[in-house]
Amino acid sequence: MSFENPAYHIHRRSVEGHEGHWVKTFDPPQANPPTPELLAPTNPVPGLMLAAGYQDRVTTPNTVQRDLLHGLRLDMWDGRRVEMFVFTDQDNPSTQNGNFPGATIRVPRGTIFHCETMTHGGPHTIHWHGLEPTPINDGVGHCSMELGRYTYQFQPNFIGTYFYHCHRNTVQHFEFGLYGLFIVEPPDAFSGPNWGGYPRRIAGNTSNFPQFPELNTNPLTSGDPQAYTVPYDVEAYWVLQAVDSVWHDIAADHAAFFPGHGTQPGINDIFYHGFFHDYNPDYFFITGVPIPVRAPGPGTIPPNVVIPAALNSGVSGTQVSINAQRNQTILIRCLDAAYGTARVTFPVDVVIIAWDGRALGIPPYGSYNSAYPVKAGTPIKLSVARRFGALIRSSVAVNSFATVEFRKHEADRLLMTARIPFVIS
Amino acid sequence: MEKISRREFIKYGAGGLTALVVGSQMDWLENTAEGAVHVQTLNFHITDAIKDMVTHNSLNPAQCYFWIYKEDRFPPECPGPTIFTTQGDVVRVVITNDLDEPHSFFIPGIFNSGPIAPGQTIKKRFVAKKAGTFLYYDNLNAPVNRVMGLHGAFIVMPRAPRPGHNFTPYERPTPQVQMLFDDLGTTTHFPGLSWEQGDDSVTPHTAPFRQYIWLLHQASPRLFRDVGELPSNRIYDRRDFVLEFLNDSFIATSNDNRVTPINDQFNHKPHFFTINGQSGYFSHHNPYISPHQRVGEPVVIRVLNAGLWMHSLHIHANHVYVIAINGRVQSNPIWIDTFDLYPLGTFDWLVPFTRPPEVPNTRGIGFPDPPLTCLANPQIQGSTPHPVWPPLEEINLFIPAVGTRANPADPNSPDISVQLSPLCFPMHDHNEPSQVAQGGNYNLGMIAGINFTGDRTLPGGIITFPKAPLEHPHNETGPAAGHEDH
Repeated sequence: MSFENPAYHIHRRSVEGHEGHWVKTFDPPQANPPTPELLAPTNPVPGLMLAAGYQDRVTTPNTVQRDLLHGLRLDMWDGRRVEMFVFTDQDNPSTQNGNFPGATIRVPRGTIFHCETMTHGGPHTIHWHGLEPTPINDGVGHCSMELGRYTYQFQPNFIGTYFYHCHRNTVQHFEFGLYGLFIVEPPDAFSGPNWGGYPRRIAGNTSNFPQFPELNTNPLTSGDPQAYTVPYDVEAYWVLQAVDSVWHDIAADHAAFFPGHGTQPGINDIFYHGFFHDYNPDYFFITGVPIPVRAPGPGTIPPNVVIPAALNSGVSGTQVSINAQRNQTILIRCLDAAYGTARVTFPVDVVIIAWDGRALGIPPYGSYNSAYPVKAGTPIKLSVARRFGALIRSSVAVNSFATVEFRKHEADRLLMTARIPFVIS
Repeated sequence: MEKISRREFIKYGAGGLTALVVGSQMDWLENTAEGAVHVQTLNFHITDAIKDMVTHNSLNPAQCYFWIYKEDRFPPECPGPTIFTTQGDVVRVVITNDLDEPHSFFIPGIFNSGPIAPGQTIKKRFVAKKAGTFLYYDNLNAPVNRVMGLHGAFIVMPRAPRPGHNFTPYERPTPQVQMLFDDLGTTTHFPGLSWEQGDDSVTPHTAPFRQYIWLLHQASPRLFRDVGELPSNRIYDRRDFVLEFLNDSFIATSNDNRVTPINDQFNHKPHFFTINGQSGYFSHHNPYISPHQRVGEPVVIRVLNAGLWMHSLHIHANHVYVIAINGRVQSNPIWIDTFDLYPLGTFDWLVPFTRPPEVPNTRGIGFPDPPLTCLANPQIQGSTPHPVWPPLEEINLFIPAVGTRANPADPNSPDISVQLSPLCFPMHDHNEPSQVAQGGNYNLGMIAGINFTGDRTLPGGIITFPKAPLEHPHNETGPAAGHEDH
């Protein structure tokens, strides 16, 4: 028995009679259909952004715009220039050169959300990770189509933290930067004069945690827009990001190694050989802020980093590094956008109120689980595309750091330690 | 519409490409009718094979060498057949080692054959004493023998539910997991069937105890070939194997003239990524790997990792409950869209198979509310206002259009149009380097699907979408074209 003389030969199966699905799986069609089951969009945010001066127009009422891809030459902390792929928003001048990560989309729950999407330089899609509409609005090419142009439509039903990304050549297009946060807020979040500021509210059941006493326990069926939400005063985005500069240097074509179907599907299809199985990230970021040291660090991001309102659906003051007051309620939204695992460790006790856009403990679907505490110094493990929401309230001053360990998807080996300033005064 | 027969269910079904049912009591498999094969003994040969991988065709050999558990009654495959049994049943095994070095058959906490010498046959029996999701594998020269392909899934069902409660996959579920299974089909938020309920009155029928096994693996053709070429008196150094598999030096492999320089050498890292030995289309469109169910037909998915990479599996269309991790039934089953799986780990998901919640509905609070009514869309011929669910305009679309030919110049080449029915969503590893084959691009790697074939929760009764559910019956396949010799 040996490689030269194996006992058996296991054949690949034929695709005869199923050529359509076979081809579509790896070489999706490009199409620009009108949106089926069309509804009138109701999202108030583009209009509010225009009124506040963050947009210079609203091309289509109640509709968000996203264009992709836009090339962005991003300077790393050490001066190295790396080619990125990013989103722009034709209505928003702050995005005209593209942003890494993409501008955050915030919407009220229950809105009819429309996003007009236009692509350049080859087909793309937008997938709305964690949001679950019909396939054509799910933005996965091999289950519907790649674009072209299309108006995505869905109605977010659960308050929480999501993200959007291109699902074309995902291994490459996501790593190259085609993603941004998507946040679903309570139905009344954009109704009052304070729509662009704090405090805001997040879905959660903190009834076991008296440090968050303002929980509204009206059932979801009550129609109360604040049902099962708690207020928070300070908010931060921790998007954990990594880049393998070798990929960007030698595979910067957006179609690198992309397969194509042959004239005889299953027989003469073109399957390129490449290196996208071999990922070795060497630059790391927290929400676009570089970790300014060589791996494995540790490296520290600056204090007082704040997300511009124009890149945050008009919401001012969202933080990256934490700068809060005692007895304020702080909400951390953390997304692992690096291919690998991560361990996030807080210098204070936290309460995990949600995973993946689903608040724990809210009846009826959350009747089987509950929010839970994590002690200071205890790492919270997450992997690519997972999100958690953590609430914090401290009655004492803190001047410390949270740490993020980026770990390799092969063998869970430490790649980089990042430190995020964490100040409560 | 074709009904999955009992015989097919056992032979091909329940998630693996092949499955064996061992033991005497199969109450949990009832309602799948005809032809029960109650196997009393597993007859394995530990042997080897060359396998044509997902990208194999006339232009591209794409093969990989494996060591396999070959069961006498099934075709050779990596992984070995999924084995189902019932808690407390006696399992008899007869195992012959046809390879040149010692091998074993090991189920953590249940059975350990100990070393089986080359040429030796052992006969043993053991009791499946715990319900749950287990990997069986060769634990010698770890992890080499396991990663070379000597592994499979061993599934033990509980003998009975807790008195007065619905079945769960466990002997002693936590109160939270028991409540979840008790609520399926009996509450306003989970209309439809419970997990253990089937329905023979509909076409296609709905099996009871719907469960799928996703056994994840990574294959390195260059490294596995090196192991297979070792002289018969030598054993591959396991530390070298792990180092080469995980940390081999980067090679700028490329036969794509948009990427230079051209270099068709691969390193020793894995570059095929499989679920139940299948990748890309072959797992995504396999009804025994990807669930095809109506809204209201919840399923259990048991996921195991036989390899050395960590995966982060993302399922579209429904958030799922994590009901067990590494054999531990969860007391806080979180409701997630993505979950991580480390080497030798397992987790079980409960997929509620609710209507995808972001389909617009009356209150927009994630409940099974009446769908909103859409506009007449002037861009769609014949469009009139109608409920947005079921999405009839979408289901009637073909992308690409009917009449699209694989070879546009040849009207006799295959029509590659695809209807958006049943409603098709992916499950993929968000550790995206596993989505490739041979380092190429997306969708030829570790990917499966979740397909909605209808809805049994609507006021008008059960509906079934066109083309449900078996779009890829096993009996319509044969060997692929291309290099038949290794």
